[in-house]
Amino acid sequence: MNHASSRLSTQSVLVARIAAALLGGYAFTWGFASLSIAGLAALGVDFHEAETGVLMLAFLVFLCVFLWSFAHRSVAMLWAVLGGGGAAMTLAAWAIQQNMLS
Amino acid sequence: MTWVHTWFGLVLGFVLMVCFFFGSLSVFDREIDRWAIPETRFDAQPMPSFDKVLLPALQQLEPDEVDYATNMPRLHDPAKGEMTPRTELPVDEYWAYVTHRDPVLAAGVGYGVPLAKNPEDHNHIHKNVTLDPRTGAVLPDDKLKIGSDWFYPMHYSLQLKWKNLGIWIVGLAALMMLAALVTGVIMHRKVFREFFTFRPWKRTQRASLDLHNLTGVVALPFHFFFAFTGLVIFASFYFLPVTSTILDPLHKQHEIHEAASTGLPHDAAGMPGAMGSVDAMVDEAKRRWAARDMAGEVGFLVMHHVGDANSYVSIYRAGSDRVALVGEGIHFKTSTGEVLSEDPPRTPVSEVNEFLTGLHLQHFEHWFLRWLYVLGGLLGAVCIATGFIFFVEKRKSQHAKSGSNGSRVVDSLAVTTVTGMVMAALGMLVVNRILPADMLGKADWEKAAFWTVWALSFVHAYVRSAPVAQGLFNPAWREQCWGVVVLSISAVLLNWATTGDHLVKTIFTDTYWPVAGVDLSLLACAIVSAWAALKLARRERGVSVSQKKTEKQPDSEAGGVAHA
Repeated sequence: MNHASSRLSTQSVLVARIAAALLGGYAFTWGFASLSIAGLAALGVDFHEAETGVLMLAFLVFLCVFLWSFAHRSVAMLWAVLGGGGAAMTLAAWAIQQNMLS
Repeated sequence: MTWVHTWFGLVLGFVLMVCFFFGSLSVFDREIDRWAIPETRFDAQPMPSFDKVLLPALQQLEPDEVDYATNMPRLHDPAKGEMTPRTELPVDEYWAYVTHRDPVLAAGVGYGVPLAKNPEDHNHIHKNVTLDPRTGAVLPDDKLKIGSDWFYPMHYSLQLKWKNLGIWIVGLAALMMLAALVTGVIMHRKVFREFFTFRPWKRTQRASLDLHNLTGVVALPFHFFFAFTGLVIFASFYFLPVTSTILDPLHKQHEIHEAASTGLPHDAAGMPGAMGSVDAMVDEAKRRWAARDMAGEVGFLVMHHVGDANSYVSIYRAGSDRVALVGEGIHFKTSTGEVLSEDPPRTPVSEVNEFLTGLHLQHFEHWFLRWLYVLGGLLGAVCIATGFIFFVEKRKSQHAKSGSNGSRVVDSLAVTTVTGMVMAALGMLVVNRILPADMLGKADWEKAAFWTVWALSFVHAYVRSAPVAQGLFNPAWREQCWGVVVLSISAVLLNWATTGDHLVKTIFTDTYWPVAGVDLSLLACAIVSAWAALKLARRERGVSVSQKKTEKQPDSEAGGVAHA
């Protein structure tokens, strides 16, 4: 019984880790892309320039956070950094945009 | 990291096989088109006269019925008035596109949508056609361009169109390819030594791992580059559409600024305007390119706001003499032919981007480099396939003991994505030559043949996979290799029988390399497959002999398993 439940928890941790790597990683990449484009545009870089450059970097960022998800011990920490960071950066991008348009 | 490499590599490896194999075929997609549609076996043509050839052809077209039925109710606002009947939609845009490898020309008309829900948007009902550039005749559009409309979309979308699911799966697979390359290097630190290590005489497990490492390392930059640029090409449309979602307001504001700075009218004036000679504009564009020391032909031509006072023509250069996809666009006022603006010189960032995407999409005319692409793509396929074989070889004796079905399933899927996939593509070409050219719904039969052959190859591979569960080889590998041989040779013979284009003619007497190249590749494929089948037969015999030996001496079997 004890053995079965520990195996179940190992599996659910693995599922949570894969989800963090893919979904959390995507959220983080999305936040990175939005914030970088908006931030560069706010600094006076041409919008399409910023878009082109950032979208090239974005997949390397995704690759790094994906691999990090399998190297870091704590899954809770992964979700906090990837999900939370992604949401925070997206919000910041939106705030910069509001500031530029107003 | 080994776990990531093994399991993500296994699950998405099947997708990657499709991407690499059909990507390799896509390098010569237009040549495969010529093979499959014999009426279009003539030489590639430059952009024909717009005034004399293209315009009369485009004026005869009508909006596409299916496009009208699906999109008109979505774009039109019933509150503003009646929906305009299909044949009365006003023309808003003409375009034409030609490549250096394509005798036929892609062209089309965009029809405007009166009383649209969002008049600011790009509201168009389309009609796209394939033209014979020598005469302007519209070619029948029910013929499937097997290379550019079937193999090429298979490469990036798996032909799963629902919600762009296929594109997303391929995107995920590309990211996992990057991850597999990085984790692969971490797993095997002796990268340099593996470059020179291939021991085909060793056991299948060892030899397949050698080949997996060798192909992975040799073509590592190639694989990393293609997976990465594949993601970049689709980034802003599909994978990370931040600038059309959350940052859309900022994007729109920038576009208005940009339109103001180029002087190109974003909207129609609402007043009629005349149409000057587009051929004269083409001549002027060529003169300006020559003055920049970039003399060249027109690749893409588009007329915006047709018939309106604000109408303008954009002319882009065919970029087939360089890697980067550069258009050097020049924009003319349609009524007078005066130059409105020229695209500004590129910035370093977009230069990098155009070089990277151009290197992936390979529109250039460098034939040696194109063949290197095919080689690199096939090396990728070998790398993934040997990964599957190693996975199976490592586990099958364990699975044979524990009664697990795992290595049987993986082995069957590996057969399906190696020989099965080749047979599906070949089966499609064979059916293309058997069915009459004017048959109704021929394209659908060809697609059905493709899926049927592929499905049957899986069924065959699984049914024959019982020996894997006993730690032996699956005979389906060898049998399907013979299937590839039969189909490849049949395709070459059928091409000869139905069109009269045999290799002596297409190479020597009436040289036509697109068709000769496809035929020669088919024969090369047959030779490689026959060789593989003979090798496999030898190895199967060898294994069953040693199996009998171990049955006689049960002690040595345990030693063999421990070694695995």
